[in-house]
Amino acid sequence: MTLVRMEKVSKAYRGVPAVREVDFDLKAGEIHALLGENGAGKSTLTKMLAGAVEPSSGRILLAGQEVRFASPSAALEAGVAMVYQETSLIPSLTVAQNIYLGSEKFLNRLRGTFISAQQFLQSLNFAVDPMALVETLGAAKRQMVEIARAVHHNARVLIFDEPTATLTPEEKRHFFALLRRLQARGVAIVFISHALEEALMIADRITILRDGEQVAHGPRSDFDRDRIIAAMVGRSLSGELYRKRTAESLRKPGRKILSVQDVSQGRMVRNTSFSVFEGQITGVFGLIGSGRTETFKIVAGITKRDFNRGGVVQLDDRPVRYLTPAEAVRDGIVYVTEDRKSEGFFETMGVAENLYCGQLAAPHHRRIFVSLAEMKALAAEWTKRLNVRAINDNARVVELSGGNQQKVVIGKGLVQRPRLVILDEPTRGVDVAAIAEIHKLINDLADAGLAVVMISSYLPEVLNLSDRILVCRQGRIVEELSPLEATEEKIMYAAVH
Amino acid sequence: MGALNQERIVLLIAVAIFVVAALALPDFLTPGNLIAIVRSISVLGILALGMGVVVIGRGIDLSMVAVMAMSVAWYLHLLNDGMADAAALGLTLAGVVAVGLANGFLVAYAEVPAIFVTLASGSFVFGFVRSQVISQDAVPVPLGHWMMDLGALRPGGIPADVYVFALMALAVWLFLRFTKWGRYVYFAGDNPVAARNAGIPVRPMLLLRYVLSALAAFAAGLLTAASLQSINSRVVNSTLLYDIVMVAVIGGIGLSGGKGGVRNVLIGAALIGLMLNAMTILQIPQLFQNLIKSGVLLAAIVVDGLLNPRDEQTAQQGDI
Repeated sequence: MTLVRMEKVSKAYRGVPAVREVDFDLKAGEIHALLGENGAGKSTLTKMLAGAVEPSSGRILLAGQEVRFASPSAALEAGVAMVYQETSLIPSLTVAQNIYLGSEKFLNRLRGTFISAQQFLQSLNFAVDPMALVETLGAAKRQMVEIARAVHHNARVLIFDEPTATLTPEEKRHFFALLRRLQARGVAIVFISHALEEALMIADRITILRDGEQVAHGPRSDFDRDRIIAAMVGRSLSGELYRKRTAESLRKPGRKILSVQDVSQGRMVRNTSFSVFEGQITGVFGLIGSGRTETFKIVAGITKRDFNRGGVVQLDDRPVRYLTPAEAVRDGIVYVTEDRKSEGFFETMGVAENLYCGQLAAPHHRRIFVSLAEMKALAAEWTKRLNVRAINDNARVVELSGGNQQKVVIGKGLVQRPRLVILDEPTRGVDVAAIAEIHKLINDLADAGLAVVMISSYLPEVLNLSDRILVCRQGRIVEELSPLEATEEKIMYAAVH
Repeated sequence: MGALNQERIVLLIAVAIFVVAALALPDFLTPGNLIAIVRSISVLGILALGMGVVVIGRGIDLSMVAVMAMSVAWYLHLLNDGMADAAALGLTLAGVVAVGLANGFLVAYAEVPAIFVTLASGSFVFGFVRSQVISQDAVPVPLGHWMMDLGALRPGGIPADVYVFALMALAVWLFLRFTKWGRYVYFAGDNPVAARNAGIPVRPMLLLRYVLSALAAFAAGLLTAASLQSINSRVVNSTLLYDIVMVAVIGGIGLSGGKGGVRNVLIGAALIGLMLNAMTILQIPQLFQNLIKSGVLLAAIVVDGLLNPRDEQTAQQGDI
């Protein structure tokens, strides 16, 4: 039974079309994967369905009736709920209060809420304590709460925007089991993801968008990985992304630039030891919470290791203990963050100013006065080198696509002329075409003799780019593998056991 | 480029008030009155320059009026006690810098919210000087002191305050626009974490900003004392502090940091100066003046919010 039908819907932002005359339909009890690069219009399309964005044209039919949602709450009323990438829960309230948020009775009894929430969570088979505060929960449990809230509102249509991005493999399994249970209850599910394997595994049907237009749709059996990628980018990239490694293609280690011995910091980093060499890419794999980011933030001076028994960090065989990132930058260590929005770029500023920030703070920039000409030259050089595509020169970084934002953030680090560059999740939330470009850039950096550390949760990326693979688990580097012998299974085994 | 933002709206309102006042009020367009307008906003403008630098860096300095009044009161008290001018000035300057450093230290290193730190330090400065140093609310400028001459100085018929304001505006503009440290103010105001990660000395720069605002307050206090020939510590309990914040905010320096500059201070000061002058000529009582000022501030912010709504997309994710 077709539950939702979107007919020729379009949406333009300030005249720039984000979605162009897309037809989309959704049956009750199906999981429908919606795929596409960043900027393809997936989020916009689903937000129109969920009432968060108003279509510029076209119509939406819900169970045969034309609907026009004035707000997300109107859509929720009609049974359409969207679970966002960033959760919309209130951290300081309990799970039960969050589930009943917005539907409390006038005289609200906490105990009654807890009891009914408990029964409700049990009926969904969710192992979440209704009395727990949301801020104490991990990403997966938060998502469960979010889903419970949607189901509690009798959602007939559930939209998930990148639901698995923050989940560990274990949590993902639970999540997919949950999707199956919801499906069995007759809920129609839209599943937006960058992880193609997941879509191929879980979806009944697949729709692919490119540049705001629908380019392919059909049952899952019509698709395989290559066909999806080809449809997403308009050309086949899979050969580029997944070439086989040979012994000749591995870079030999250069001089040892960094050596970390028994470094500890609180509970996140425990007695970790490893080395990094010039002229090669050191891939670091670890699950969320394994302390990989924390370890390298210590190296880059962003956080401080324990004062007592904190271990030793040596740069060129010289012990260092940085109090601020500025000291690390002076020594040629640059950290490119995994969270570009909150600690990467300057959102009120343009591409040029963001790049110039790196230049001004770099050790080789000694003059007190800034120069507009210098900034423009720098921006011209690096936007060309990184292939940053902005709408125009004055465009603020926040208006760019994820891939272009990431390029700017990487560029901001590279203009500081680092010797050791740490890239934390360099391709998170980046479209497929930009991923290929960023991968090429990372290879070029290592070829140019830099010591490159690439932290990633994406196994194909780690296997494909690294010359050495370090696996991080529970605050410690536990395993070093050569990409020749490593497989996804071996790495994952080291990371979870 | 033709987009209406808060800055342009405020400029339009200011121009409109100017035109209406020029046509409707007979005494408005006289040289004497125009000079009075500029003079009236000089002290406020100097204070707003200091506040602006702090606010662009995502802070706020509520101790400015206390520093302005009490530093000068202390300085004049020392002079009246017979201390040599150089020693008194040096001591006072050291005190002013110390207050700025203390503010900056507590905000940057102790990580206390700026609004609490500066509220407390302002109260402390006022309370300490008023109770321990001076015995009366007002402290007069000693006879024959250079501040007397400064107050009477009118090169080209324009009071010295105006020149000082213009020079300071130029200096702050050059600092913010063309020096590395000035750009650091914007980076730290936009995204302090990203600024720190990029290797910018975020905390020392914070100290610098609060020292600058304290020095601007001291300068404003000296000019006030020069024109009134005394300083009255009761100004600390007036609405002056809110006027300073208003000049900065109404001109378009967002409290969220990273936005605006000297031009916004000038536009904000111009609007306030014109409004106050027109209302004074119309003999609108002080209480109503405050009401009208706050109404205009609210209107400017609301209209800006309506004309430039946060993009629904960028508000969500930054990707389409």
